[in-house]
Amino acid sequence: MNEEIALSARAISKYFHEPETFQVLKDISFDVKKGEFLSMIGKSGSGKSTLLYLLSTMDTDYTGEITINGECLTGRTQNQLAAFRNAHIGFVFQFHYLLPEFTALDNVMLPALKLGKKSQEEIREDAYSNLKMLGLEAQAMKQSNKLSGGQQQRVAIARALINQPAVIMGDEPTGNLDSKNTDIVFEIFRQLAAERGQTIIAVTHDDEFAQKSDRILELGDGRLLN
Amino acid sequence: MSRVTNLKISRAHLTSRVKQTMVAILSVTFGISMYIFMNGFMTGVNDTQTELAFSTLAHIHIYNDLPEDNTNLLQKKYGDDKLVNLRNAKVIQYTEGIKNSAKIIAAIEDHPAITGITPQVNVNVFFRNGATKLNGVLSGIDVNQESVLFGTEKYITQGSWRSLEDRGDGVVLGAGLAAKLSLTLDDNVTVITADGVSRNFKVIGIIKTTIGGVDNAKGYVRISSARQLISKNQGYVTDIQINIKNFNEATKVATQLAPKVAYKVESWNESNGQLQAGNDLRNIIAVAVSLTILLVAGFGIFNIMNMTVNEKIKEIAILKAMGFDGTDIIQIFLVQSVIIGVIGGIVGIIFGYLVSVLVSFIPFRVATLDTLPMVYDPQDYILAFIFGLITTFVAGYLPAKKASQVDPVEIIRG
Repeated sequence: MNEEIALSARAISKYFHEPETFQVLKDISFDVKKGEFLSMIGKSGSGKSTLLYLLSTMDTDYTGEITINGECLTGRTQNQLAAFRNAHIGFVFQFHYLLPEFTALDNVMLPALKLGKKSQEEIREDAYSNLKMLGLEAQAMKQSNKLSGGQQQRVAIARALINQPAVIMGDEPTGNLDSKNTDIVFEIFRQLAAERGQTIIAVTHDDEFAQKSDRILELGDGRLLN
Repeated sequence: MSRVTNLKISRAHLTSRVKQTMVAILSVTFGISMYIFMNGFMTGVNDTQTELAFSTLAHIHIYNDLPEDNTNLLQKKYGDDKLVNLRNAKVIQYTEGIKNSAKIIAAIEDHPAITGITPQVNVNVFFRNGATKLNGVLSGIDVNQESVLFGTEKYITQGSWRSLEDRGDGVVLGAGLAAKLSLTLDDNVTVITADGVSRNFKVIGIIKTTIGGVDNAKGYVRISSARQLISKNQGYVTDIQINIKNFNEATKVATQLAPKVAYKVESWNESNGQLQAGNDLRNIIAVAVSLTILLVAGFGIFNIMNMTVNEKIKEIAILKAMGFDGTDIIQIFLVQSVIIGVIGGIVGIIFGYLVSVLVSFIPFRVATLDTLPMVYDPQDYILAFIFGLITTFVAGYLPAKKASQVDPVEIIRG
């Protein structure tokens, strides 16, 4: 049973202290299975993004416990968490955040170079096959700021996948894309979950996108609604 | 592997904003070249000053010092608990000068630091030509050794220094003294001692050192002629002048020599504190000015690196999200400023050298100088480079530290 659980959150609460103390998340607990495609929805201010950044380990200011891949991450140091993110979590944001001076291929290679488990040649091949899977092989050697918005977002996805992370987290991953590109990105996520068994957690405003995913988690006023 | 990646990101940052990088490099270049130029120039000035001073001044001087206080010698003998009343005290005959100079010279000449020793017989005299009578010093010298120590020969403007060796009645006069006495080469001058002895000398040389004490008041004769003038025997000298390898060690060598000699052994910085003070002050000014320039360069780099960090803050956030830790981020930004420092340092050293060479050609005809003095000391170049590196390191570290503390959530969520 435990093997199948990719991520579990237990009794998560979080407070904002500025401008005044306010409880954003109230005692949230849930599990995400391995290979599950989960959408998180909710109104603006419901705390869904806040929850995602807690799960991502970038925000450590909370109470409760977060476990990913069977490793409890609560209470670790920033540098330990950085190393963990590098190996086990991939991110796709609303904005692509590529390094503009680097080529698409170099951008995709970055997290793997940091991880340092493979040789530069192997990483280059992995990065290239990731780009190919996303239909970007022709753009591999182009500088990333010369690509279109949809292409940049796909490069960012290729980058998120390079270390074969257990969990891929998306914060409005299709927020800046037109419907055609949104469909492409959705299709990629679905394939990753179904074929590679990678867990996907995406915060979205797009109801259509959420409806098509495996499971929907709706937040309202800092609580789970379903 | 991750280090190579960090370097690659640093390089991308540097090359993506060439103009800013150039400005940063130029500010370091300017700071370092000014440091090199200022120090080279100041050392040149100091050396010139010292060289001029040492044209009459020896590094170490041995002479017979009078007792410090001989107003009431008996009080010292009996101590403070007895009252001694002595009226109208006078000093009776005491030993003047140094009698056994050969023995003293033999005792000290094998000290390894010593490069030259010369005995002198200095006599206070009147120089007279007709009705003009001027107070001055007649210096009996060893013709060869004197020039070895003080380079006296090269200050001769008329006549010849070497003729002193051949002529017991020859005198070399300071230019100002000769002019005041209306004397030219081959004229005769009368020298009168305090004891009333007078003798004629022939002017066989005129010397001009730009030092007033020499030019306006000094005459040189052979040491034997001076001894003869004051009726002293062979071996009598008033002063022994010693030069050593490194004049900055004069005080040390003087204290080593003192126990071997029964007379006063005095280093040049003891008797000429103002020279040392002048040198030290000029050095302080040079260092202060150039360090200030480096500091300003440091602020420039700090500013530029800060701007880079602000400009790249989203990249920093995403790098941290992807698992780059604080150390990586510090490395990425610190490497940039160190590269700026190294390039700026190397260019600064070359530029500083060129400026120094250029300035050393500027005409400056004062005293013995033809052009502005300049010294090329490798130590200045190394120090300038090290200071430059330290400045850029500190100036780069603070923004890098700030970058490493960026909270990715805050930036990515907007």
